[in-house]
Amino acid sequence: MRYALIAILALLALLIIAPPLLGTGWQYALINALIAALFAAAFNLLVGQGGMLSFGHAAYFGVGAFTVIHLMQSVEYGDIPFPTVLLPLAGAAVSLLCGALAGFFATMRSGVYFALVTLALAELLHSLAPHWDEMFGGEAGLSSMRMPSLGFTFGSTLEVYYLTLSWVVICIGLLYAYTRTPFGRLTLALRDNEQRIRFMGFNAHGTKIVVFAISAMFSGVAGSLMAISNETANYSVFSTQVSALVVLHTFVGGSTIFFGPIVGACVLSLFTFVVSGVTHSWMLYQGIIFVLVMLFAPKGIGGVIQAHIEQRHALPWKRLAAPYALATLAGLMVACATVFVVQSLEIVLSREYAAAVARTGEYAPYTVFAREWQVFHPFTWLFPVLLLVPGLYLLRRAFARIKALWDKDDDDDNGDVPAATQQLMEGGR
Amino acid sequence: MPRWITTAAAITALGAIAPAVQAEPLKIAIIESLSGPQTSTGRLIATAAEYVIDQANTNGGFNGEPIQVKEYDNAGDTSGAATKFREAAADGAHVIIQGASSAIGGQVTEDVRKHNIRNPDNPIIYINVGAEAMELRGKKCHFHAFHFTTTAPYRTVPLMQVMSEQGDLGKRVYSINQNYSWGRDMETAIVDNADRFDYQVVDKVLHEVNRIQDFSPFVARIKSENPDSVITGNWSNDLLLLMKAVGDANLDITFGTIFMDQPGNVANAGDVAEGHYVAHSSNIELLDEAGPEAYKKATGHYPVFIEPTTLNGVGLFAEALKQVNFDGGDINVNEIALAMENTTFDNGLGGMHVRKADHQAVIPIVVSQVASGVKYPVDGTELGFKPIKTVAGEDAIYPAQDSCRMRRPK
Repeated sequence: MRYALIAILALLALLIIAPPLLGTGWQYALINALIAALFAAAFNLLVGQGGMLSFGHAAYFGVGAFTVIHLMQSVEYGDIPFPTVLLPLAGAAVSLLCGALAGFFATMRSGVYFALVTLALAELLHSLAPHWDEMFGGEAGLSSMRMPSLGFTFGSTLEVYYLTLSWVVICIGLLYAYTRTPFGRLTLALRDNEQRIRFMGFNAHGTKIVVFAISAMFSGVAGSLMAISNETANYSVFSTQVSALVVLHTFVGGSTIFFGPIVGACVLSLFTFVVSGVTHSWMLYQGIIFVLVMLFAPKGIGGVIQAHIEQRHALPWKRLAAPYALATLAGLMVACATVFVVQSLEIVLSREYAAAVARTGEYAPYTVFAREWQVFHPFTWLFPVLLLVPGLYLLRRAFARIKALWDKDDDDDNGDVPAATQQLMEGGR
Repeated sequence: MPRWITTAAAITALGAIAPAVQAEPLKIAIIESLSGPQTSTGRLIATAAEYVIDQANTNGGFNGEPIQVKEYDNAGDTSGAATKFREAAADGAHVIIQGASSAIGGQVTEDVRKHNIRNPDNPIIYINVGAEAMELRGKKCHFHAFHFTTTAPYRTVPLMQVMSEQGDLGKRVYSINQNYSWGRDMETAIVDNADRFDYQVVDKVLHEVNRIQDFSPFVARIKSENPDSVITGNWSNDLLLLMKAVGDANLDITFGTIFMDQPGNVANAGDVAEGHYVAHSSNIELLDEAGPEAYKKATGHYPVFIEPTTLNGVGLFAEALKQVNFDGGDINVNEIALAMENTTFDNGLGGMHVRKADHQAVIPIVVSQVASGVKYPVDGTELGFKPIKTVAGEDAIYPAQDSCRMRRPK
């Protein structure tokens, strides 16, 4: 626990100190990562802790964004004085109301039916929004400007970053505190056995509405922060892509652990920012990551980290070092081979390349990994195979060894380890 | 892979000869949808814009340096565009080119406006080559935004004028459009011009965007009104499926469209498309052969759909660059913007310029008909766009909107 606190404080210090040293592009990417993290944490309150998979959380995110953009416009035109730093409160309040209302209907059912109701409610907004220009601004969207508040002008991206960071830290703190309260425990019980909650004398439906509304409220704060940082809101925020993205973030991060979705959202947002600047195939890579995580680490990135932390005293770290290093190396080889093939195809199959071939009549060499490659040279296509085949072989070997070492623990350790080990090997159920 | 397209050798050579004064290179950022569902449009815009700038660079670049271009992938959403805008601003971009969506256009033009208010010493110009929403030239207009594409009324008026002259418009006009700001702009334009071209709007329909798989109920409604022509601003599937449903019902009605020239439309619609009209800002049938051939040599295809608009818009910008001279010193973006206001550019069909009131480009509109026997058939079919008439920009353009209150730099 103490280590966890130190780690969190160190991370926080880094988040406070580092951004002034970065360019505005990176600062803005960090703002988006923080917002995605808060959205994922709020979403996970419902999915991971409450056991209710919503496919329409973009609705509450968007409601928060539009509330704040309307309020910002009123402040800009001088109608209402409202401090910029407190704007997310308004988004939170309206999203809470909408969440309570939608939650009342959605939580009457559970499982797939619940998911479908949430999807339908979000689609309702998504199809209504383009028809209501005064409220949602039509295709070009609504726009406003941040007004100075508390001595800050909020003109620079850095000031917005610190505003976002404060709100995100407070909200994630509150969400964490929530899990420690008796009501937070009740939420977990709701996921595990709803019937039992009823037998214990609690109002299961009422509890679910409250959980839904709180999740919607924090999603609204995330939406508010996005409106503040973009200074615009557009009805595309209600699209299913936004709802799907938060599901993706949550499951890649690991929905069974509190910090999992936060890790997932940060990692994937920054991945998008960096990789989309380098290649147009970034969505493919994102999809590959998702599939790999679902296949080999169903508890997500957070799940893998947590298993290691839990087992830190039991694992034979010295003997594990070599296979872990081997696995990393082999993983890099496979990744290089994949990236090489994808990038080669992206270049060779592009219109520009086809035009150049038509113009000059020859297949010019292209550049990947800072080296020139001939399209029809056998080595060009042998290269990825040479990386891929040994890479996959080494990966299998390394993982067999790692599994053996993790399993070996079972024999010579106390009773509670096997369960956790077993869980890691099988993945989440 | 985004990269500053430079003649690297020229830079190193310049650097070696004249290390003392480094001229400021002009930087252009293309913030487009280069991945995701809108890639096809975004890619066309980026290709056309880069083509014009490459040409400018072979003619000596600007300010003694090659113009630098970098592509930024906004992934088709407004948040992505906002991120990439900040990255481009941090990279020192002077000009931003965008066009594949009005939603992203709204984000980019507002980001540019706010950036310029907060950084009056380093303003940025926004060149819009495809976002057609009226609001971008109305409430959201500002001095540094230039709109080189048309809007709903801008295309509807010449479309109906020519259809009327050809006797294909008739007295009974049916309006069917998508139910969002663009479709509603279209409907307004169709209703507003009824007296001018002496027709009656027999029915107007707004339907969901890209959700309808079967248009036969709509076609039944069209049939019951017995119109002479149907005017629609529909694009993509909404246009294709509508035309197919009309074809299946054996209705002989002429369509007046805005987006018939989107690649793939004619192939998908087949013979149903023949005889229908389209209003667009250029038609390669009318151009001198050298231009399209040179374009095809560089990019592998003739300029289609949104590419002529981009070539014209960025072309006018490149022309305006010739009017300003900073003698290798710092670039003054406001001077470039003022030069753009005063530049006339011949796009092969006539002169085009930018209207000062709202920075909407005044471009001639070509009204064409889908027909066989053309010089440039499209989509691997026999059909292509036969130009019927070119309407001068001044005759086609809508009046500047009152909601545009532009503050000019002092």
